[in-house]
Amino acid sequence: MAVNLTELSLPQLEGLKGQLEQEIEFLTSSIGQLKVVQTKYVEAKDSLSVLNKDNAGKELLVPLTSSMYVPGTLSDVEHVLVDVGTGYYVEKNVEDTREFFKRKIDFLTKQIEKIQPALQEKHAMKQAVIEVMNMKIQQLHSQQTSQSGTAKA
Amino acid sequence: MAEAIQKKLQSELEKYQQMQKDVSKSMSARQKLEAQLTENNIVKEELDLLDGQNTVYKLIGPVLVKQDLDEAKATVAKRLEYINGEIQRYETLLKEMERKSDQHREVLASLQQEYQRAQGRAIGKV
Repeated sequence: MAVNLTELSLPQLEGLKGQLEQEIEFLTSSIGQLKVVQTKYVEAKDSLSVLNKDNAGKELLVPLTSSMYVPGTLSDVEHVLVDVGTGYYVEKNVEDTREFFKRKIDFLTKQIEKIQPALQEKHAMKQAVIEVMNMKIQQLHSQQTSQSGTAKA
Repeated sequence: MAEAIQKKLQSELEKYQQMQKDVSKSMSARQKLEAQLTENNIVKEELDLLDGQNTVYKLIGPVLVKQDLDEAKATVAKRLEYINGEIQRYETLLKEMERKSDQHREVLASLQQEYQRAQGRAIGKV
């Protein structure tokens, strides 16, 4: 680090600690969001396994609303429509779709792995700042007590 | 004397705060653009992986409309171009703002010093 923590004053350290806490919060929520999206992709990928030759033509209940279902038959088990972002949907076969999800999940894993070290680093920095702060407070305390001691004497 | 400087200091400070507000507004606009850029890049990558067999649909309101793959690619490319242009524009805008607020900070600092000196003199007289 370019700046020596011990040279900073207490209010400065307080500010630094606050800033680090904000950054930690931001990174933690980013990781949380990425994990939520990743879970969605994993679930979608898992539900693809229902679309196989054995289930073709079988009956199923389609949810029209969350509380109403209508019977239907599974006529096409080879094609699905995938949302690729910004309002574009692509018709893909099941194999390609599985790859699509795998790609997305891998991408998210990589992003999470990128953030994790940064988060750890911020945590370590915050810890260091807190330690220096404690040290300074203790110093201040001992100074005060020794001063009041001499004043009495 | 001190009062006049104080008034000036006050108005300059308000101007500076307004400037800082503008800066943060532009910053968040830039960040939004960055997010859009990432999303469109992902879409472009996906579209590039497709061939003539895949059908592409565009969501317009609540309906899906069939669209040509090449047309979709062209739209996304155009969008990327636009977003990149916007980011560049904001970048120069932000740089300009940064420069101006640096200048303003200097003005503020010198005004503050002047004010303190004037105050010191006023107290000295009393």
